[in-house]
Parts: sequence; C-alpha cells; structure tokens
Amino acid sequence: MDFDTQIKLAVYGHFAETGRRPSPDEVAKLAGSDVGSVLDAYARLRAQRVLVLEADGSSIRMAPPFSGVPTQHVVMVGGKEYFANCAWDALGIPAALHQPGEVHSRCGQSGEPLHLEVDFEGPEPSAWLFHCLVPAAKWWDDIVFT
Amino acid sequence: MLFFRSEEQVREWCTARGYSMRPLVSMDQLWTLAITWYSTRLQENSRRPKPDEMRAIFAGLGLVGDFWDPQSDSFE
Repeated sequence: MDFDTQIKLAVYGHFAETGRRPSPDEVAKLAGSDVGSVLDAYARLRAQRVLVLEADGSSIRMAPPFSGVPTQHVVMVGGKEYFANCAWDALGIPAALHQPGEVHSRCGQSGEPLHLEVDFEGPEPSAWLFHCLVPAAKWWDDIVFT
Repeated sequence: MLFFRSEEQVREWCTARGYSMRPLVSMDQLWTLAITWYSTRLQENSRRPKPDEMRAIFAGLGLVGDFWDPQSDSFE
C-alpha cells in the first residue's frame, strides 16, 4: 500500500471510529510517520478530491462524506454521532460505514426537522427531496459552498 | 446540497435568493448516489467516479442534461 493510501485510511478510520477529525499528529502516529510527511500527503489527497483542508493547510474540513466541523446534518450510526457535509453525504455516512443509521437534518427553507431512518436497503419511504444548486461541473470550484 | 420538505419549499428557497431552481432528486435516487460514491470509501482501493462514470451513474437515475454533466461548460 502506498503512503498516501495509508494516510487516507488513517484519516477515514479515525472519522469512522470517533466521528471527529484527527489532528495531523494523530494521523502521523496511526501511520507510523511524521507530521511533515502527513501534511505533504494531505496536499496530494486534496488534489485527488479525497480531502478538503481548512485555510491553515493542516486541519481537515472534509473527508467526504464526513465533516470535520459541526453541520446541520447529523447522522447517528452505532451510537456514534457524525457530521455530514451536505444532504448527499448524510446518506453517504451509513453507506460508507455499511451500518443502519438515523439522519437528523432540516428543510433548507422552512427549518422543519427531518428524521430519516436508513437501513441496509436505504432510507425509509419519504417524500422529502434533495436539491443541489451548483452544476456538477462546478462542484469543486468551491466545495464548501456546494 | 440540502434537504427540502417539498417542491414548494425548494421554489421558495430559490426565489428568495434569486437562484434558478435545479432538478429535484428523490430520497431513493439520493441513496443510489450515496452508495455509489461512498460504499467503498473506507477501503484501500476506493476512488471517486471518473467523469464518464459520473454521467452513466446520473443517467441511470434519469439525471441527464448539462446540469449533471461534470465536464459541461454551460455554466461559466
């Protein structure tokens, strides 16, 4: 396994285990490496659209579907709390973890709460909708806005 | 990328912000997208879909046109 893949798996494994973003130091320890090498790998993983970093270049904002910061999309899986980057990623967390979950979010316009059970076959029947404002070709121009 | 209770709520949200309303996606369609993008994300050999693969995935869900084309230049 190449180094960047080791770092990616360390980051994603930490999110899956804790629901929270790891620090570069934690990733270095998990991968048996050093912080400088981890940050170099972060930059390459950003180019592959696997990670999104904060302006400091070292804190993980997104490891899709996981969010490194609290959002309005909260997903409970196996008794753990996760934050998703968007509505798509809210369903992406149970999909990534291969476990049933419960999505807690809200209507983008009215604020009405959404509680959606998700099992191995997908979400319970629901008339709620997903709306994406940004065209697919532009998603990564500003992925945080998207 | 947000959840909405109804089409009317989407319309109100777009109108209030001066945005064009985009194609609507059902929860079942969204689950297919979530599985396709993320079911292997924690595995060693995972990767994001390439543009041609994205088009095929979207088309399989009936999501077609420039809006869903990852290489469209119609939205400069």
